[in-house]
Amino acid sequence: MKQKSLMKRITGSREALLAIVLIVLFVIVTAISPSFLTPKSLMDMLKNNAVMMVMALGMLCVMLVGGIDISIMSTLALSGMSIGMMLKYDVIANPVLAFVIAVAIGIVCGFVVGLVISRADVPPIIATMGFMYIYRAMGYLVSNGGEWASAAALGEFKNFATTNFLGLNCVIWVIIVCYAFFFWFMKWTRTGRKIYAVGSNAEAAEVSGINVKNVKLLVYVIMGLLSGLGGALQVSVYASAMPDMQYGGEMDVIAACVIGGVSMNGGRGTVLGALLGSLILATIARALPLVPFFNQLWLNMIKGLIILAVVIINVVLQRAADRNALKGREM
Amino acid sequence: MAGKSGRSINNVPESSVKRMIFSWEGILVLIFIAVNIFCALFSEFYNLSSLLRQMPVYLAEVFLMLTMAYILVLGEIDISVGSIVCLSATMSCIVCNTNAPFIVVVLTALIVGTICGAVNGFILTRFQELPPMIVTLATQIIFRGIAEVVLGSGGSISVTNTDGFRLIGGKAGQVPYILFLVLILAVIFAVILGKSTFGRRVYAIGTNRLTAYYSGIHVQKIRMVIYTVMGTISGLCALFLVSSSYGANTTTGNGFEMDAIAMAVFGGISSTGGKGNLAGGVISAFIIVCLRVGLGQKNVNAQVILLIIGILLVAAVALPNIVRQVKRAVQVKNK
Amino acid sequence: MSEYVLELKGITKIFPGVKALNNVQFQLKPGEVHALMGENGAGKSTFIKVITGVHKAEEGEMFLNGKKVDFKGPKDAQAAGIAAVYQHPTSYPHLTVAENIFMGHEIIKNRMIQWKAMNAEANKLLQQLDADFDATDEMGTLSVAQQQMVEIAKAMSTNARIIILDEPTAALTKSESEKLYTLVDKLKEEGVSIIFISHRFEDMYRLASRVTVFRDSQYIGTYDVDGITNADLIKAMVGREINDLFPKPEVKLGQEMLKVEHLSRTGFFKDVSFSVRAGEIVGLTGLVGAGRTETVEAVCGITQPDSGKVYLEGKEVHIKRPSDAMEKGIILLPEDRQKEGLIMSWGLGRNVTLPTISKYAKNGINNDEAERDISKKLLEEVDTKAVDIFQPASSLSGGNQQKVVVAKALSQEMKVVIMDEPTKGVDVGAKAEIYAIMGDLAKKGYAIILISSEMPEILGMADRIVVMCNGRKTGELNREEASQERILELAMEKGTGKGAGK
Repeated sequence: MKQKSLMKRITGSREALLAIVLIVLFVIVTAISPSFLTPKSLMDMLKNNAVMMVMALGMLCVMLVGGIDISIMSTLALSGMSIGMMLKYDVIANPVLAFVIAVAIGIVCGFVVGLVISRADVPPIIATMGFMYIYRAMGYLVSNGGEWASAAALGEFKNFATTNFLGLNCVIWVIIVCYAFFFWFMKWTRTGRKIYAVGSNAEAAEVSGINVKNVKLLVYVIMGLLSGLGGALQVSVYASAMPDMQYGGEMDVIAACVIGGVSMNGGRGTVLGALLGSLILATIARALPLVPFFNQLWLNMIKGLIILAVVIINVVLQRAADRNALKGREM
Repeated sequence: MAGKSGRSINNVPESSVKRMIFSWEGILVLIFIAVNIFCALFSEFYNLSSLLRQMPVYLAEVFLMLTMAYILVLGEIDISVGSIVCLSATMSCIVCNTNAPFIVVVLTALIVGTICGAVNGFILTRFQELPPMIVTLATQIIFRGIAEVVLGSGGSISVTNTDGFRLIGGKAGQVPYILFLVLILAVIFAVILGKSTFGRRVYAIGTNRLTAYYSGIHVQKIRMVIYTVMGTISGLCALFLVSSSYGANTTTGNGFEMDAIAMAVFGGISSTGGKGNLAGGVISAFIIVCLRVGLGQKNVNAQVILLIIGILLVAAVALPNIVRQVKRAVQVKNK
Repeated sequence: MSEYVLELKGITKIFPGVKALNNVQFQLKPGEVHALMGENGAGKSTFIKVITGVHKAEEGEMFLNGKKVDFKGPKDAQAAGIAAVYQHPTSYPHLTVAENIFMGHEIIKNRMIQWKAMNAEANKLLQQLDADFDATDEMGTLSVAQQQMVEIAKAMSTNARIIILDEPTAALTKSESEKLYTLVDKLKEEGVSIIFISHRFEDMYRLASRVTVFRDSQYIGTYDVDGITNADLIKAMVGREINDLFPKPEVKLGQEMLKVEHLSRTGFFKDVSFSVRAGEIVGLTGLVGAGRTETVEAVCGITQPDSGKVYLEGKEVHIKRPSDAMEKGIILLPEDRQKEGLIMSWGLGRNVTLPTISKYAKNGINNDEAERDISKKLLEEVDTKAVDIFQPASSLSGGNQQKVVVAKALSQEMKVVIMDEPTKGVDVGAKAEIYAIMGDLAKKGYAIILISSEMPEILGMADRIVVMCNGRKTGELNREEASQERILELAMEKGTGKGAGK
């Protein structure tokens, strides 16, 4: 009985399935190109996808309450561009201060978005679409109409992405810290569970005394915070800041969550899922150039097909499960 | 009938003039006038003939708004249209460069668009549990992905024989053809949405899908038709886009879905479904077109225009909600 | 100390357009099980929500252990030791059972949720309830009965001194109900006071010592269960002799219009057969969850049956979707007026003409004038209490909304009209009017299927009564042989169930 439930738990759990998919993917790619499974290659992969991985955590929170945020990459551009320009014109020099400023800008951006959604009842897709325009344009204005902050202008700051700490790249440390924090936050704190509760049944949450509006505000602030952090990481990893960075990147972040099993209707999704989803996306992006016939050009098409396949398979499985449940009903 | 009280129920509607003035469309007309006055003051080049000359670039997106309005009234969303435009434009350029007759080029654009739209519609009606947002997100990436593969490593294509595209990009007197087509289609789409049984059913689905279904409306058929037409119209948009740039690349149509949604929502068409009409959508589209022309004449950056659109969009949806909340709060206090 | 743990006086609650509670009172003794009875729409659920702080009463006072209390919200009621288990579980389907039980009062140590302690505690509670599932199971995967158990565990976990059970047995099988009875007894022994809402007399006799009756938003009286007869109780609930409510006309029955043979849908109903003739009213009854609605939904194409045949006027018909059914002359007036029957924000006129717009349209363009005329005519025909046809459906009372739904059916040539709980949430006066309309329709030669859980309604209106239980048809009774006891017997028949899908 116990064993059966263990089996069931593995096959029934999305995360386990995703982990298997990821492992299979690793094996295949390594078989084709052994250079893939080297520490350096993996570290590069993580570093290059740090922004997406970190922001997937925020998107997880937003989607858990049934929302969506497509303004994130504009927030990223605004915060990244702001510190880029500050560093360029020597307003600040301290890398830590740059991180703090970027995060602070992100928090403010997220707070405004959250206010508009939670207090003025604007549908999330519309509100964040508006702010996608607004923050992107603000980032552009900050750049004095399109200036770049290139590697030379960034000084010490860009070293962050090349420095190792305890044998690991600092960027990877940021990923680890973020995921560790969110594993704890989403599972072990009351606030984390409130996010799940609101997403699962907002009405019931209201009745049990949860301030639904504040929870909604909170998730957009979290999203903003991570977008700001993403901005700093982006500037540091790519050693440049430009106002159109990560244009359209929000779709990748949403895609990572969706592949990781986060439901668009809220209530369902885990930190582990977000991690696996973004790792699968990152692996595919990394592996595609190594595979014969395919090349980088095929990346988007394959990515899209995977998302579609994942959501459709989900529906088909759910339908089968429902039908099975009905068959078992006694009459 | 038994127990009939002989009560009479009024069925004469009140005059619509008063309602029109205080409606959102009335406000939009005022904004339209204000925007034009502003543009004329802002740019000394802003007049009817310069407006007509510079308008076509921005008009192609208005096509998209016309069908996006239907999708929003359904309470749904389609964020794949920009990618459909890209794929249609790419394919039509490729066909054009084989020296095919221009009618074939036109058909290619329309058919590619229609197929893409039908794919969306098919998935959405076959798997009704899926939110349109997620399906069209996937197809957005797929359609553009196909265009990227087709375009190859160069990422762009130019039309070698521009005759056909120059023709549809032409004008009658001072008025560009595209303006005629936008206006004609706007009237047709507005009449179908506002006055036809089809339109009534679309509103019914958007307001209460279950009731609509129980009342004998073919919900899935109507959704299928609308998503497919959305594709066709994207093909049309692609044609006119190519006619102004004589080529396509992987970023063609980037963000068009957002612009189309913004125009519609600013026009009072709620993204939650069942509300708004195309008159509002069309007026708001022209407000944005005029603004773009006017600001563009003084080389104001496109980003600033997007900033303004963004603010208008959020304000247009947020303000009525805030006003309503304040009113309710005052009412409760008075009680 | 007061004699009562809970006492409410002069409670009045007004919703836009309706007085949901009118000067009602209630007293609950410590450690008693107190049944609250009344027809649908009598105000019981609203009353419960006033006690639990979800609604705030416009007038009246509430005393807890003799002290006046004023709940600002559900949290206050919870803190005061009042817990409610609602008819439809208000749970979090994505979360585990333990989380559902402890939502709002999690076990916290050092700002961390103590999962182990919570799961252990939850399992302890579940064990007391003799539950067959685990605290770590996901709520959404449980059956309704199991979810109900979780809700009760939740109430117990807050150490509530007053527990309100709102129709807890409605979705339960007999053995599950039996388990619930034992549970309630146990709670009673522990000194918990229980308010018990139920339509089942059986529940009341088995558990309650006193019963309070509401009717039409008003307090009728409180009686000792031992000292009141069934008939008196029904009279108190319905308010008048049942017979004069139902103007059932004598109609000469015509030919057989609709015949359903061996209709099955896995997991919902199995092998259901019945027929209805022109001018006949066939009552379809059974407990909630017996599969009545699901059966007629399959007949009307809302869902697809797995097997079985449907005949209309002797010819087999294949109905794929509601529009097919309507074209052929079968219409279903759904149970949930707000979600399935009407578009609440639309004007009455548009609602009435929604199924038939294309009939008045020319070349696909709507003819507003013709629509206005026809909707006025139909709305007056069913005697809707409305000022004009443009007012939104949400502005009408439940009974008048139901009339609009009926008017929708009249807007086209129909042969078979299926009414699903047409008087749910309708006040007594409007009920009589709806019965009158029903009688008129029968006179006009419509074949009518009336789905209802309300015994008097079925007995009063139906020519023939089909009883369902647990997805199967358990009997068919003539008007003459039908009685409350007979129907209940058929509706509660248990134990013979075989797996339908196997």
